[in-house]
Amino acid sequence: MGDIFNVLLLQNTLRTATPVVLAALGCLMTQHVNITNIGIDGMMLIGAFFAVLGSYFFGSWAAGLALTILIGVVLGLFYYVFVIKFGSDEFIIGVALNIFAGGLTVFLLRTIFQVKGSFSDPAIVPLPTIRIPFLEGIPVLGALLSGNTLLVYVSWILVVVMWALVYKTPLGIHLRAAGEYPEALTACGRSPQKMKCLASVMCGILSCVAGAHLSLGYLTMFTENMSASRGYVAFACVIFGRGNPLIVFLAALLFGFIDALGLRLQKHIPSDLTAMAPYLVTVVMMVVVVLWERRKKRVALKRAA
Amino acid sequence: MNNSFVQTLRALVRLKPSQKLQRDYLTSLAIAVALAFLVGAGILLLCGHDPLKCYAALFKGALGTRRAFGNTVAKTITLCLCGLAMSVAAKAGMFNVGGEGQLFFGAMAAAVVGAHVKGVPGWVVTILALLAALAAGGLFALLPGWLKVRWKVDEVITTIMLNTAAIYFCTYLANGPLKTAEKGIASGTDSIMAEAAFTKLIPLSNLTTALFYAIATALIIWYLMSRSTIGFEMKLTGDNDRFARYGGIRADKLMLWSMVLSGMICGMVGMLEIFGLHKRFLTSVSNEFYFDGMLVAMIMRYNPFGVILMSFFFAILNIGGRAMEMSAGIPSELILIVQSIIIFFMAAEGGIRTALTNRAAIRKARREAAAKGAV
Repeated sequence: MGDIFNVLLLQNTLRTATPVVLAALGCLMTQHVNITNIGIDGMMLIGAFFAVLGSYFFGSWAAGLALTILIGVVLGLFYYVFVIKFGSDEFIIGVALNIFAGGLTVFLLRTIFQVKGSFSDPAIVPLPTIRIPFLEGIPVLGALLSGNTLLVYVSWILVVVMWALVYKTPLGIHLRAAGEYPEALTACGRSPQKMKCLASVMCGILSCVAGAHLSLGYLTMFTENMSASRGYVAFACVIFGRGNPLIVFLAALLFGFIDALGLRLQKHIPSDLTAMAPYLVTVVMMVVVVLWERRKKRVALKRAA
Repeated sequence: MNNSFVQTLRALVRLKPSQKLQRDYLTSLAIAVALAFLVGAGILLLCGHDPLKCYAALFKGALGTRRAFGNTVAKTITLCLCGLAMSVAAKAGMFNVGGEGQLFFGAMAAAVVGAHVKGVPGWVVTILALLAALAAGGLFALLPGWLKVRWKVDEVITTIMLNTAAIYFCTYLANGPLKTAEKGIASGTDSIMAEAAFTKLIPLSNLTTALFYAIATALIIWYLMSRSTIGFEMKLTGDNDRFARYGGIRADKLMLWSMVLSGMICGMVGMLEIFGLHKRFLTSVSNEFYFDGMLVAMIMRYNPFGVILMSFFFAILNIGGRAMEMSAGIPSELILIVQSIIIFFMAAEGGIRTALTNRAAIRKARREAAAKGAV
């Protein structure tokens, strides 16, 4: 058992959870303004591609990240225009966006880099790893808290920032009002449309940055369809956490843990079976949260009676 | 051709589906397709290709020869059955995104039956395999359907997750316990009984007698959805399930069964692929076929006739795209881009039209105001 449960497992947990955390933070923004965005997976994929593209051509990870953020803004605006301005079905746009992302990234991969399957090159500059010297001395925590790539730390900070933003600032209240009761927001002189636009652009940026972590932080390459349904997992985490960034973060960590555990169990169990685990866990997570809510409602009803 | 046959045909043509696709909608569709092709042409120009030549290669590659035409029709079958599966569920308000997994399970069940049932005539094996595929697909759809009806667990997420799980599970079976002993097969099961497989209708193409199964299924679905009481009840449930419940319709049951039916059709698609094309379960049995079919269904607003026509168009793009990749060296993923652009425009069709008419009205009002001001 010692070869499976050790510090490395927890390190891998953090590493695999981070893209899901980032994407989920974006997704919960749209969830709070009452948009069901399932196009996150496609946004992640596009983000992953352009991060590699930027890093390769400009020779710096910062350029890759900047390009990714730019693309994220474009995708967010695109999503906003189609779903809110034109009032199209968010589900159809989301699915179409995922298919578009698959087509676009592979098409560009073949035309720009002339390769099939995956692209890796020494010229791609990965995200820097950050070492925190005074934490490194602590036995287990040191290995966890230090030596991660940049976006892992960014995701931790963002979880707290988002929590404060959503629940403790006027902007967060406006954001949630735009989803729950847009008329009230209009009555106090704010535009629900602007809030939805903001949320959708934020979602675009965060999803794309999540993709950048996949292709520049977790690995240093781009692979066809490398998002591998992580966008949907992020969505499930948001449903599980009911939009609360802290619970969403824990759900994403759970996903990362199962994923990492699966990878390490490959010595004992066929890899195809272990790869199923995170997806099945997500289904169970969805069922648990629904049952939980039902129980809460029943208790509340009993109390009222 | 005798007279009564012509009359039957006429009657069939006159019977319009209950949900009409309005003329405005079809005009928008034509414009969306044209725009998507224009964007595609732009991309081709950027990459230094001649768009006209490429599109010519595309259509020639899909319809130019008998063999190519056969492949296109075979692709149409897959797409339109997937699209119909989506439509059946969506009519009753269930979004079955898990068709891919149901397809894999159906294919696996059919392959196992096809390979291991021995000592009976070929046609018995075919029928047994079909039943196994229907059962496997249906049962796999039952789980998310039941979760939705019983506890209101969002079926979109559960079906997507189960897709990936199902694909991994079938891959595991094909790589592990059910792996064939034959050499040269990387990941696949034993091959099915040769007499049980479908025969080819056009030599060298992928078109087989699976066509007749598809036609029968399409007719049943069409009848069910637009001519039967169940179809009407399904539509009521999908439009407004509370209203349906007050009207005495057992909405939950209907939703569950429409999901199962959808899964059964997907399972059958898997069986048709195995018995028509691969002759054994291979992990490459489907390459997100269900998602293409699903989008076709969405574009045509779940109208069975529309789904069949649009499937043919998408099949042309798909098969032609591959031919274009061979002859002109353009990645066939360009077709995915063109397809998704069509979908984007069609999903936003209503909104774009309102925006355009509003703008025209404002401009007209301004012009009139300006004219008045001048006087």
